[in-house]
Amino acid sequence: MDIGTYLALASVLFGLGAVGFLVRRNMLIQLMSIELMLNSVNVMMLAFNRAYPGNHAGQVFAFFVIAVAAAEAAVGLAILIAYYRIKRTLDTDDATLLRY
Amino acid sequence: MHDHAPQQLMLLLIILLPLAGAVVNGLVGRTLPKSLVTLVGVGSVAVSFALAVASFVQLFGLSHDAEHAALGYHFYEWFSLTLPGGKIAPINIGFMMDSLSGMMTLIVTGIGGLIHLYSIGYMGDDDGYPRFMSYLNLFMASMLILVLASSVPVMFVGWEGVGLCSYLLIGFWYENREYASAGRKAFVANRIGDFGVLIGMFILVGVASSFEFTDINQAAMSGSFRADFPLRIFGVAPSLATVACVFLFLGCTGKSAQIPLYVWLPDAMAGPTPVSALIHAATMVTAGVYLCCRLSPLFITSDVAMSIIAVTGTLTALLAATIAVAQREMKKILAYSTVSQLGFMFAAVGVGFFAAGFFHVFTHAFFKACLFLGAGSVMHAVHAHGDADIFKLGGLGKHLPTTRWTFLASCLAIAGFPLTSGFFSKDEILLGAAAQIYRPDDALMTSVGWFTLIGLTLAAVMTAFYMFRLYFLTFTGSYRSADQSGDHPYDAHPHESPPSMTIPLVVLGVGALIVGFLGLPHVMPITGTHLPSWWGHWLHGSVAGQPVPEELNIVNLASGLAFAAMAIGIGAAWVLYRNKDTDALAERLPARLYQLVFDKWRVDELYDAVVIRPIKKVATVAGAADMTFVDALMTRLPSLNVKEAGRYFTKLQSGVVQMYGAVMVVGVVAVLGWFWTPHSRIDAAFEGNRVELTTPPGLGYEYRWDANSDGDFETPWGKTPSTNFEYASEDVRGVAVFVSNVSSGVERRVRVTEAWMPLPIELVVPADRRSPQELGFEVRMDGQDLAVRKPQPGADPSTAREVRLPIGKPGRLGVVRLETRPLVEATVEVRNAFGNVRKDTLGIALPFPVARAPQAMLIQPAREQAR
Repeated sequence: MDIGTYLALASVLFGLGAVGFLVRRNMLIQLMSIELMLNSVNVMMLAFNRAYPGNHAGQVFAFFVIAVAAAEAAVGLAILIAYYRIKRTLDTDDATLLRY
Repeated sequence: MHDHAPQQLMLLLIILLPLAGAVVNGLVGRTLPKSLVTLVGVGSVAVSFALAVASFVQLFGLSHDAEHAALGYHFYEWFSLTLPGGKIAPINIGFMMDSLSGMMTLIVTGIGGLIHLYSIGYMGDDDGYPRFMSYLNLFMASMLILVLASSVPVMFVGWEGVGLCSYLLIGFWYENREYASAGRKAFVANRIGDFGVLIGMFILVGVASSFEFTDINQAAMSGSFRADFPLRIFGVAPSLATVACVFLFLGCTGKSAQIPLYVWLPDAMAGPTPVSALIHAATMVTAGVYLCCRLSPLFITSDVAMSIIAVTGTLTALLAATIAVAQREMKKILAYSTVSQLGFMFAAVGVGFFAAGFFHVFTHAFFKACLFLGAGSVMHAVHAHGDADIFKLGGLGKHLPTTRWTFLASCLAIAGFPLTSGFFSKDEILLGAAAQIYRPDDALMTSVGWFTLIGLTLAAVMTAFYMFRLYFLTFTGSYRSADQSGDHPYDAHPHESPPSMTIPLVVLGVGALIVGFLGLPHVMPITGTHLPSWWGHWLHGSVAGQPVPEELNIVNLASGLAFAAMAIGIGAAWVLYRNKDTDALAERLPARLYQLVFDKWRVDELYDAVVIRPIKKVATVAGAADMTFVDALMTRLPSLNVKEAGRYFTKLQSGVVQMYGAVMVVGVVAVLGWFWTPHSRIDAAFEGNRVELTTPPGLGYEYRWDANSDGDFETPWGKTPSTNFEYASEDVRGVAVFVSNVSSGVERRVRVTEAWMPLPIELVVPADRRSPQELGFEVRMDGQDLAVRKPQPGADPSTAREVRLPIGKPGRLGVVRLETRPLVEATVEVRNAFGNVRKDTLGIALPFPVARAPQAMLIQPAREQAR
């Protein structure tokens, strides 16, 4: 398949993730949107690695992203649970304490 | 002498031991037992004195071998200065002991050691005893650096160091505001003088190209300082020596308490009595005299500076003596006496008798230290704090026999009683003044000699008088505080001081009587016998001076005056004050005059009105300006602006995470948008007749150039953001006209086309104040030339006379200068990674003519240029 197809898929996934992060107010959904954006980047890197198979930097980097995403998900979910225990909600509109 | 390491180390240790003592007592003295503090403080100075004696003995041995014998120690090079002219003058941490500095070192460490010993008894009960010892030791180290330094900057380190210690010790009891401010006064007065020393030092190094005393003195002896100073003062150009010496002497007036800066010394008596004895009588205040002696070959080159010094010294001696006559407090009297005696020393220096001045430093150190310590002993005995009013004392001779007899010995010495030390030194000074009178063909020095001789004789009369007034009122008659009903009386039962205080008194008192025999006069008065003068011989190698007169009449005149002065002074005091309780002089003098003298001629008040208050007023204004302009306008206003702006911008920090994300997205899009199309901006640089064209590089950019903008790209797409091109005549697109006013030289660039257009001449002749119509030129391109015409108002423009200027040649139109340059256009296309292309064009006025077709140069007769 043409690399353009992969890139189009990655762009669409990234756009979905970005819009989801911006418009949804539920933190859990936002966390999922971030995962979506990270995975779209993974798709892009794998596609480039396939198109330019001279080295494996793209594939290796995708593993890094997966590892970081896993850690981020763990931390993120922990924060989320802690937050829920205090506020009894996951709405980000209520999470505005960190301001001047 | 340079290969004996132990000797050099000894020289260094003389300085380092007191310094180490100061460090130890200053840092940990508070935690040490008192006996250990004493051991460190007094012991370091005692060992230092022993080493000084050992060095001096060595020096004495050398003096038989060489004329200019000296022990030297070059420690290391501190830093160096490159002088104008490329010479490098190193500043060495080096020390030198010659006959002058050796003698001074003995005085400093010897008398300093005795005063340290005295301090054990005097200051032992004070809470600040370790601090006091530390300061005293630091003073010793600084004074020894000053004395032993082999170059001016190192001496200046000591000079500043003793000033600092003086300040610290005057304000030793800093809880008392008056004492603390006395310390400040001393410091400020000394700073004024230090400025003079610095200026003097710069002149010295500028002329001698070296900081070393020996080099400077060498230069002075070879006449380098006789050249005129580059600036004229009051229409005359003084010699370099005069200017340097006057500035150095300004420093001496500060340090050695001469007119006009003497006012700090009497106030300095606020410090503990040993300080007054050591710093403000025996050693530090004589540093000015020492400096003059050190640089005596320089000072003696300038008659003007010498006269200034002699007159200033004499005036100071007189002024201070008159004030001392009317004071009531022991230390005040002794302080003014010190100022007066310093005046004697400077008068000796001023008449060219450096050795005599330094001899007086030597003898004065003994008797004045003894007097101060005696005063301290009296104050200790009667429990007087700060100072003792002599009209509450009296009859103390019975109670304090040791103090009384040593005090009497010193009083005799300072008064100049025959065969005491002061007799010999004062005699020598008067002899110097008298010798000037007989200097042939020198009106200046003769009149200075007369002035000095008369002034010093009067001062000597008063010296003998006020010293014996002090002695009689303190030690004879009845003890006035025995009657405890009076106004704040002292302790009713005075007692003699402990041995640690009386031993120094005895040593110094005996010294005051006998040390004069070191400096016997060359010629004995009356008989005319020649005597061996060890002092003059000893200092001969290191101190310059006028020749000592041998004529008997001069010697008799000086000695007679000195003896008469002593006899009159002591006699008057005997009559007026012996066994008396009241101030007989106050009853005999007009009350207002007496009050004026008692108020020290109100010099402090004069300075306050003339100097201090105007400065305070300026400072008040400057302070107000600082508050309103700098603090408010420059600091508070901007901070207020920032604060107000911040009040609004903080609202952006809403804490809503989606808001932050959205802003970031907007930012990312904006950045992407900027990168979407490439950017270019052509720059032209000229090399010979080629033009180097460049455009800023960018990531992933490719460039192709069409340097002459003819539509054909000379280069294919490439990665280099520059090209090089040589323009030919067919590339010229027009002409750029640089218009400049002949007078102002302002340049404006105008782009001319094929059609007639007005020349915007008003831009360049604003100074002419003519309206633009008056110079209404029109220009257009005609082939390769510039056509210029000036249409008359109302007439058909086409009838006006045309002038043609060839491109590349300057021409004139009235006041306007025209320069034409070939104008070419360069084009670049830049393509970025997205495939977007941007085209940029720049018109370039070439500063050189291009290769042109010959027919274009046909019409350019010079006479057709306007006017």
